[in-house]
Amino acid sequence: MHDLFAALLDVSNYVLILMLVSLGLAIVFGLMNVINMAHGEFMMLGGYVVLVCHQTGLGVLPGILLAPIAIALLGLLVEGLLIQRVYTRVVDTILATWGLSILLKQLVVLGFGPGSHAVPNPLPGLASLAGLEYPAYRLFIMLVTLFALLATFWLFFRTDFGLSARCVIANRGMAACLGIDTRLLDRFTFACGSGLAGLAGAVMAPIVSLDPQMGLGFLVPAFLSILIGGLGSVATPLAGASIVGLTDNLVSTFLSPLWAQGVVFTVAIVLIRFFPTGVASRRPRHL
Amino acid sequence: MQRGAWWLVRLAGDREIGAATLVFCVLIVLPLLLPAWILTELSRYFSYMLLAASLAFVWGHCGMLCLGQAVFFGVGAYTMSVVTLGKLGFAPWLVSSWLGIALGMSIAAMLALVLGVFFFFARGLGGAFFGIVTLAVAVIAERLATGSRWLGGQNGLMGVPALQAGLNAGAEIHDEAVAYYIALGVLGIGVGLTLLLVRSSWGLSLLAVRDHERRAEALGVNIGRRKTEAFVFGAVLAALAGALFASQFNFTSPPLIGFVMSAEVLIWVALGGRGSVVGASLGALAVRLAEAWLSEPLGPLWLLVLGGTFLLTVLVAPLGLFGFLAPRRS
Repeated sequence: MHDLFAALLDVSNYVLILMLVSLGLAIVFGLMNVINMAHGEFMMLGGYVVLVCHQTGLGVLPGILLAPIAIALLGLLVEGLLIQRVYTRVVDTILATWGLSILLKQLVVLGFGPGSHAVPNPLPGLASLAGLEYPAYRLFIMLVTLFALLATFWLFFRTDFGLSARCVIANRGMAACLGIDTRLLDRFTFACGSGLAGLAGAVMAPIVSLDPQMGLGFLVPAFLSILIGGLGSVATPLAGASIVGLTDNLVSTFLSPLWAQGVVFTVAIVLIRFFPTGVASRRPRHL
Repeated sequence: MQRGAWWLVRLAGDREIGAATLVFCVLIVLPLLLPAWILTELSRYFSYMLLAASLAFVWGHCGMLCLGQAVFFGVGAYTMSVVTLGKLGFAPWLVSSWLGIALGMSIAAMLALVLGVFFFFARGLGGAFFGIVTLAVAVIAERLATGSRWLGGQNGLMGVPALQAGLNAGAEIHDEAVAYYIALGVLGIGVGLTLLLVRSSWGLSLLAVRDHERRAEALGVNIGRRKTEAFVFGAVLAALAGALFASQFNFTSPPLIGFVMSAEVLIWVALGGRGSVVGASLGALAVRLAEAWLSEPLGPLWLLVLGGTFLLTVLVAPLGLFGFLAPRRS
């Protein structure tokens, strides 16, 4: 029973992180029709911000607080310099952001070396949860990601900004006609999406080894989550993330981690084939 | 007769074909001018150029952004290696280079067929998301190759013999000039065939599918089928390049089938010119030459320069360096 609970917590951990990454990606794609191939690198950079904070003595926890802000600012910069020149051509956004991801990776390699780095766990030890002993930091991760997800939802569904954003997602042209500043929203949204990725990377930093190539490992599952879940609303990618995360963990545990990605992918292909607009989405999305 | 003559006239006035012929003639003459070791280097670039041509066809001409083209390249390379190293479990005596090439192309074709059937029918996968899915395929292919002991695991397969002239093994072809001309021949046939297909009515229908899918469908083109056909052709071409590569470099390893290689081809094609098969091949050649020249002195800065150039090209010159070679439709 306890093992099941622990396994459930492990799965939830991964699923929540994946949700965070996918959400950022989905928001940017839903609003701006931009596919950000550098999203994984934003996540990686979030982790490296924590590393820098640790190395300069600022501490890991302040680093986790600082990372999403730093990465959001980076997102703002990227949006202004790069995205706004290519967002009319969807395919070129892939290429441009792909080029950006190469640049970011190489900059990190130049700055920190190609090897991996470790950040110490700020909350070592076990916590007691309903009679189960579980690593305290993992519980912290879950709390942070849940909070971030809820905050994002609050932003999108309970504020005026969120209302404008959902307007633009639904019908960009009409929203512009109604006087909504789509450019400002673009900037803010891209910053938001990047910040979410940065947070995901930052919060994961103490329990994974940071290396410049880690972005790709989350980019692919995040995209698959969006494909499976659909882009009908801000919530649907989360359904996709749940499916991807669950499948990955189940297969990793019961078969082997090698098969996990293959199985996830096959399941994703089958689901996409039969639910081209996503399992949870009702609105068709023309790409 | 009349039609044939007009066709020849059109071909003669075609910029891309003219460029291709020019480059081909130059490459034919080069062995008379260059030392043998440069010939070996150059003939290795031909595999890359063929791979770039295949992606230019699939992406530039047909509009399918395949971020996993190296998967088919890797399939060709691995099949060639497995066969010529005698690793076919049920028939270890079958080590024919020809079989390696043919089998590699067939397996790649079958894989592309399966993927095509899954991706292009019913509502089909839109351009951008198709890219993501092919990216996932590349990542998984590399994982599988790394995890397979039969395929050599992380180190891959070494000691792959060079092309053997005989029907089933024979003398390996080690003469630099001969190997050069064989590689050039393969490149010439591959690119030539692609250039002709692009200008055929089949190629024209693919342009229609690329530019406006719904309209093409309304005009009677079976989208799913057409795209799958094109995808299979691209895969076969890439596999041929891969098989050639394996025999030239004498090894195959997981990075060749994975995402990094796919991204490299993408960069070559984006820099060289995605609308033109010849342009993309030249782009591959140019980047490879630049890398051979610059990567030592620049060290880790080389990737930065490459990434930056790629980024700039996408922003400022999306047609690519040799994009002006792309055939015009008027």
